[in-house]
Amino acid sequence: MLTFTLRRVSLFLFTMLVLTLLSFSLSFLFPGDTVINHSGHINATATDLIQLNKDYRMDENIFSQYTAYLTHILNGNLGQSMASQSSISSEIIKLLPATIELSLVALLIAMLVGIPLGFIAAIKHNKATDNAILSLAMLGYSIPVFWLGLLAILFFSIGLGWLPSAGQISPLFEIEHFTGIQFIDILLSKSPYKWQAFSDASAHIILPACVIALGPATIFIRLSRASMIDVLATSYIRAARAKGLSFIQIIFRHAIRNALINVIRHVGLQFANLVTLAMVTEVIFSWPGIGRWLIESIYQRDYTAIQSGLLVLSCFIFIIHILIDFIYAALNPLARGNNNGS
Amino acid sequence: MAREKVYLEEVFPSPFMQLWGIFRKTPVAMVGFCSFIFLILLSVFSPILAPYTPIDGNLDMILLPPAWHADGNVSYLLGTDELGRDMLSRLMYGTSLTFGLSFIVVIFSLVIGVVIGSLSALTRGIKSSFLNHFLDVVLSIPSLLLAIIIVAILGPGISNTVWAVAIVFIPQFIHITRYAVKEEFRKDYVLASRLDGANNFRILYYSVFPNIVERLMSQATLAQSAAILEIATLGFLGLGAQAPLPEWGAILANGLERFYIAPWTVYLPGLAILFAVVATNLVGEGIRHALKLRKEN
Amino acid sequence: MAVLPMKFKYLFLLKITLSTFLLSGCNESNKLSLSERSIIYCSEGSPETFNPQLSISSTATDASSKQIYNSLLVYEGKNNTLAPSLAKSFHVTRDGKKITFYLRQDVSFHQTSYFTPTRLFNADDVLFSFNRVLDNKHPFHQVSGGQYPFFDSVKFKDLVEKVEKINDFTVRFILKRNDSSFLANLATDYAIILSEEYGHKLNLKKAQHDIDILPIGTGPFKLKDYRVGSLIRFYRHDSYWQGKARIEQLVYDISTSKTSRLTKLLAKECDVSSYPIAHKKIAERTDLTLESITALNVAYLGFNTKKEPFNNKLVRQAIGFAINKKALIETVYEGQAAQARSILPESSWAYNSKTPQLDYNPSRAKSLLEAAGYSQGFTMDIWPMPIQKAYNPNALTMAKLIQADLDKIGIKVKIMSYAWDTFLRRLSLGEHQSFLFGWTAEHPDPDNFFTSMLSCSSREKGSNSTFWCHEEYELLLQKALETPNMSKRKNYYAQAMVIINEEIPLLPIAHSKRFQARGIDVEGDILENFGGINFYNVSKNVLTNTNILPQPKTLTKERN
Repeated sequence: MLTFTLRRVSLFLFTMLVLTLLSFSLSFLFPGDTVINHSGHINATATDLIQLNKDYRMDENIFSQYTAYLTHILNGNLGQSMASQSSISSEIIKLLPATIELSLVALLIAMLVGIPLGFIAAIKHNKATDNAILSLAMLGYSIPVFWLGLLAILFFSIGLGWLPSAGQISPLFEIEHFTGIQFIDILLSKSPYKWQAFSDASAHIILPACVIALGPATIFIRLSRASMIDVLATSYIRAARAKGLSFIQIIFRHAIRNALINVIRHVGLQFANLVTLAMVTEVIFSWPGIGRWLIESIYQRDYTAIQSGLLVLSCFIFIIHILIDFIYAALNPLARGNNNGS
Repeated sequence: MAREKVYLEEVFPSPFMQLWGIFRKTPVAMVGFCSFIFLILLSVFSPILAPYTPIDGNLDMILLPPAWHADGNVSYLLGTDELGRDMLSRLMYGTSLTFGLSFIVVIFSLVIGVVIGSLSALTRGIKSSFLNHFLDVVLSIPSLLLAIIIVAILGPGISNTVWAVAIVFIPQFIHITRYAVKEEFRKDYVLASRLDGANNFRILYYSVFPNIVERLMSQATLAQSAAILEIATLGFLGLGAQAPLPEWGAILANGLERFYIAPWTVYLPGLAILFAVVATNLVGEGIRHALKLRKEN
Repeated sequence: MAVLPMKFKYLFLLKITLSTFLLSGCNESNKLSLSERSIIYCSEGSPETFNPQLSISSTATDASSKQIYNSLLVYEGKNNTLAPSLAKSFHVTRDGKKITFYLRQDVSFHQTSYFTPTRLFNADDVLFSFNRVLDNKHPFHQVSGGQYPFFDSVKFKDLVEKVEKINDFTVRFILKRNDSSFLANLATDYAIILSEEYGHKLNLKKAQHDIDILPIGTGPFKLKDYRVGSLIRFYRHDSYWQGKARIEQLVYDISTSKTSRLTKLLAKECDVSSYPIAHKKIAERTDLTLESITALNVAYLGFNTKKEPFNNKLVRQAIGFAINKKALIETVYEGQAAQARSILPESSWAYNSKTPQLDYNPSRAKSLLEAAGYSQGFTMDIWPMPIQKAYNPNALTMAKLIQADLDKIGIKVKIMSYAWDTFLRRLSLGEHQSFLFGWTAEHPDPDNFFTSMLSCSSREKGSNSTFWCHEEYELLLQKALETPNMSKRKNYYAQAMVIINEEIPLLPIAHSKRFQARGIDVEGDILENFGGINFYNVSKNVLTNTNILPQPKTLTKERN
């Protein structure tokens, strides 16, 4: 386990290095003055510019410029947004938890829906149910997420009036910001309308989370189906059947656990895809998360914000990826092995 | 009666013909394939086939609903948008943008990805591990984010979108090719060729590629359906095709303002995107299904 | 066989009961009253400031003027007569140069988390508010930029000699000359009264800037929270001098996209929505109503007369003849606007139906272009304004249609889009060649159109981005202000409009109506006659009468 952890940590450090290098080089690639792209002070006066040049060591070689940039990031200084003139790290601290909340709920829904359906499809392999599930999965995989979001709003919010169409919570509720994750903040707040706020927030998150979850759910269907088919063909399942265990017992006691392990290792890879979908969905549902903020930043050509957003978001995805790797390794002793390069 | 063939010869179809044979027998895959061919023809011949131009609108015919509605007009089969432009023509021209460009993007990334991937598969040791980790990092950045960054550097516009999407897909092809080539290299027939004295390039070209080409094709269809969605998403966000280009995502975004008055301007482009992606996926599924069946035979 | 299924069943049951408990909520009755005591208004943009003295944008005044502040006078009734507000009466001397206001003695300021007043409203506050604009040495004059667009465009400083305090509840304005528009200006949404005590406190704390972003006024609502791009939250001012409002909480849900405002309205996430689209769809719904008001406004295509080729009158006229205004109105306004003959709409008393206008005549346009020496055409840019206003719901589409029109006479148009504050900033710097903008009048005096839009002084103040300055025109405006004789004024304004349509520094396109949509359970007038909004009289139809609040004295506003 120790070598596994060490490998993962070194991978993480390497990744952070590459990501910071990438975002550092973006200041040169984006139009405009490099040091302004680093810091975000578009209205810098001449004296400000001198100070900025000193801070980012623009007069020295590229290596020390990079170290200066890295130092700023490690100190939490991600620069200032060109559009709103406020500190990017303070904005991100408010926005990132909303995206975390949304994507984790979506991931949960995708897993809770996709994995069982995939198992059912595998159990009824090559029968009508299997084909039906696979065709539905293919359809779900092919729908453009922005179209789905619009149709969902049209049908559920306006047509049926069941669910709200925008935002994280109704603006009437005043919930103080503690962690940024709405559900935790509601429970911690002193408002007399706690339970209404809670149900209101739940109503607000259902539609965007389901829209995001559709694509990954179909991928989970496919993955878990393949995994379960493989497991059901193994010799130990055949042995269990020969032992005389009933079908239900085999499935719940043996097959699911083993099939699940194979699926979990792919969850980490799917997360990047899910965050992409989340970014577009945030725009459609006006969800106050980092995805919508990034897309706004590109409309406003706010280069500092784009760089820092890239860094934070990729970092976040990679952390989740590594966490899931750890969970997978905890569940599957074989994975802690040492002969895999990636 | 003269019989030409005296002895019945056994015909051994090549692996590709075997694949095609199985593919042909799957009705769903054939439907997908025909739709795919239809879309390719449309993207090439749309200037000839489309009834109107996609850019100039007839200001007397604004926001006509599709022809099956009471207020519709048969000469504008799928209705018009707010500037009087015919939806059918716009969608047809859009095929060459959303679908056609995705096709080109995939071929481009495929070629470059395969070349780099196979070359890098030949390396070993630290270089190989380094490349692996680097690829992992790039693959962990959300594709939309990467495309946004590239568009931020290059500026919005459809040509820059094409570059952005191509650059996003190259790492995926590199990864797949590396994996496939490395897997093939472990097999015995490669060992046999090597013992025969073939150098790496010969092995790659004559032995390995024919065996991985089908896997690459199946990956390419997956990539193309993803590329269609990427191009449409970027068009929808306003970062891709700019007005008045009739790219499907851009048409949808344009129709959004009048969603409630003229919902067909939003439904129809969405359906077009769905159709194209489903067709591509059906072809891909067909190939994968045929591969599996061929293996089992 | 026994253990496994039982565990599942138990867990399942537990999960179901827990979720129903959470989702149903304990105090169902409390939630109903929260939404019935509040109004959510879907607004179209984030205000750049909460002080209408500093801005002419309707987004800022909609959020502040009638909600947070009061002015000395207001407009009332169909004929827009002046009525008392913070000043309960006034007296004008015979030469028209001294005006004395007698102030109310029962007005209190807001108490918020950032300020607690210790006294009622008095003359010091009036002096503070007006001297901030008039006196360069006033400690707050330079705060937040030192630009007072409305006051500068009506040349307030040149008119008012000084403001004097006679006693705690009496103020006198001394004017340099008789001007029939002075009282009208005091009743606008811009002439609001700030708190001198608050200003003093901020001065000591060296946080003067807060006076415009954490506002204190006497109005029916006080600011609780502002999140840019997201929401503005107002609480009711319980000791409002006209009686407290019927709603306790007013929230502005900032949604810049028209479709998202409509979606929220249709999904009942907003009670009232500004600048709605899809009027037919709203009319179909029985739980929503659409209302409109004919406002005094105009949308125009302005030319930067400082830049080539728009310093050439023939070029401007050519473009004027080339644009199909009727098609613009059909497309952009969906027919719900009147084609503009000149800058004044028909509802203004100074309107002249005989003003010569530029009809749609592309061949004449082409020959004018040739006469100006541009027979090959040229390339130009148009800057459409990025947010929507009553006078122009979609400047971008209008720009596209104009692009198509001008293409037919050989002029290539590039459309430049910017975010709102970038747009305003660059416009004032004169970086544009032409732009799509408009003007909404603040009071019924026609001078409000002529001076604010095209006078020489309004060039620096931001409301005249054509940078056009015409001596004869200025003279006409001045003469019109000096006489109280209505027919003489009408004559002067008619001549001014002839000059405008001849010189074409801007091409007037349309006058529109301001629409608003609301749920049928929302009662009370919101739209004001001159483009603003006022939530004081609004209430929600409570089905069960729990609290009978004392009825506030409502000012009746009739609509035309």
